[in-house]
Amino acid sequence: MDENNSPLKVALHGMDERSCKVMGIYLQGPCKGIAVVVNDDADIDIFNVDTVNAGKLLDEHLAKQPHKPIIVLSFQDRKHEKVLHVRKPITINDMVASLEKARSLLGKSQKTPIHTFPSPDKSISDNKQLSDSDKKTETTDPSRPIKQTLKPFVTDAGEQKKTSRHRPQIELIDKSFDAFIGNVPGIDVNDPKQFSIATYNPKDYFQSHVESAYKVCQAKGKIRQLNSGWSPLLIFPHSREVWLDADDNKLRAFAGLALNSLDIKISISPPDPGSSSLTRGLEKFHDMDAFLWKLACWASKGRYPDFLDIKRPVYLKSWPNFTRLLITPHALRISALLIQGPRTLPNVAEVLNIKPQYVFVFISAACALNLAGQARREVDELFQPPEIQPNKSQGLMSRIISQLGTTKA
Amino acid sequence: MSQYKIFFTGPVGAGKTTAIHSICDVPPKIPHRKSSTTVAMDYGIMNLTGGEKLHLYRTPGPEHSDFMSDLLTTGGIGLILLIDNTGTDPFQDMKFFLNSFDKFIANTSVAIGVTRMDQSKKPTIHDYNMQLHEFYPKPPVFTVDPKVKNDVSLLVQALLYSLDPGLED
Repeated sequence: MDENNSPLKVALHGMDERSCKVMGIYLQGPCKGIAVVVNDDADIDIFNVDTVNAGKLLDEHLAKQPHKPIIVLSFQDRKHEKVLHVRKPITINDMVASLEKARSLLGKSQKTPIHTFPSPDKSISDNKQLSDSDKKTETTDPSRPIKQTLKPFVTDAGEQKKTSRHRPQIELIDKSFDAFIGNVPGIDVNDPKQFSIATYNPKDYFQSHVESAYKVCQAKGKIRQLNSGWSPLLIFPHSREVWLDADDNKLRAFAGLALNSLDIKISISPPDPGSSSLTRGLEKFHDMDAFLWKLACWASKGRYPDFLDIKRPVYLKSWPNFTRLLITPHALRISALLIQGPRTLPNVAEVLNIKPQYVFVFISAACALNLAGQARREVDELFQPPEIQPNKSQGLMSRIISQLGTTKA
Repeated sequence: MSQYKIFFTGPVGAGKTTAIHSICDVPPKIPHRKSSTTVAMDYGIMNLTGGEKLHLYRTPGPEHSDFMSDLLTTGGIGLILLIDNTGTDPFQDMKFFLNSFDKFIANTSVAIGVTRMDQSKKPTIHDYNMQLHEFYPKPPVFTVDPKVKNDVSLLVQALLYSLDPGLED
């Protein structure tokens, strides 16, 4: 990327945390990634002067760095020869025009940039269901001079300078499991005779499309939108987050649909410029791992992924980050057992004396995050898994767990 | 009656005191303070059914920890290690404390909470797990906000299940 296309680095002054987050998203989304918010080494400073002491701060800044471009945001017109002014409420055109002018002041506009929207992403790697519907290449329009210089969505590691809400959503207990996770009519996943059919193919579900789209975004280092005939999903690879305008009930219903049977066209594209609703929904950001984990649980419905052999052991690479994930019944116990060494899924259920569906849903989610998989080393099948020895303080520890929470892990 | 203990350790400012406050019934005594960190070891208490008490000890900063070994030998159930993700070298901190308590961990177990991840997203939990590749079995590593009871509670539960996955409440 040449300098004309590279995002400007801007520092924000006189704004509270939420305003900074929204501005970061605004620059990335509606302003097409023309700038990114940084803490250090900014090219341009943006001052909100409608705050206490902002005028003083601005004057001090001008005295210290007189040659650095400054953009001032205010409700009132301001005449100041050394700064660029954007009147509030800010419009995209005004903001982009000011940033371009600031870029020219920086000496970054030696050549006139000829902008085209980024070429569409090809269908996602190994998933043929994703088509590149975004093959439109926007032509330059003389009547819209600002758009000619708009930049594709590009982010740096700082991305939005925002923090999505990363809280453990729910700790499921046995009784609420079926209602929340769902089940598959006609199959008793807890019946050993039906284990061979208690499977699902993750590639048939939204889960797999999100995984694939995320890989594409990560490889390209760009924000992309996953279109599925439903609410578009915005994927932010640098911060490992997604944004979706839908609550968990809607998401659960969609995540549980086998999309391959519904003839739904799925594609990825640059974010829709009209997605300015982003600025209204910071709470709709999800951590990617927590999001994928949930999708896998809802696709699984108590089944296990069909790429696992029920008769062979599975391993767990590391504990899932449970404080930020949906905790399925007995998930901590399953993790504690599997982290000691590979076991078959039925063996885990037997040793812990729990329903196989709890093991299946856990392993589905862990596989989605690449934390678990089929053990393929000879040694993993060579030995019978050791029996777990009850701890000598078992009674005491049970009482501690009972005291710690009302929920069952 | 036996005295049961879980130890909370970690670098200065990692949130040990706050974490204990989040889950105990009787908070720790006000510590002797020097440069705003704990220089003596004291504890909070969790009351258990049957009248037993669990003592949640916070360790002093590492420069004051040379007297810890004797105290740790009796009644210790396990170790909670809190690492400040905004620290200069969180991995070094983790290794230091794991080494300092290696004998105790070998006889019990450890669970690691990474704090202040809202201020510094890196290293990630995955990065911590990669650092622990030689640790067997791998301890739980969770993002933890010491102020949030559920976070601290889950970390302690993971510690206990590590000791005995067959444990039921």
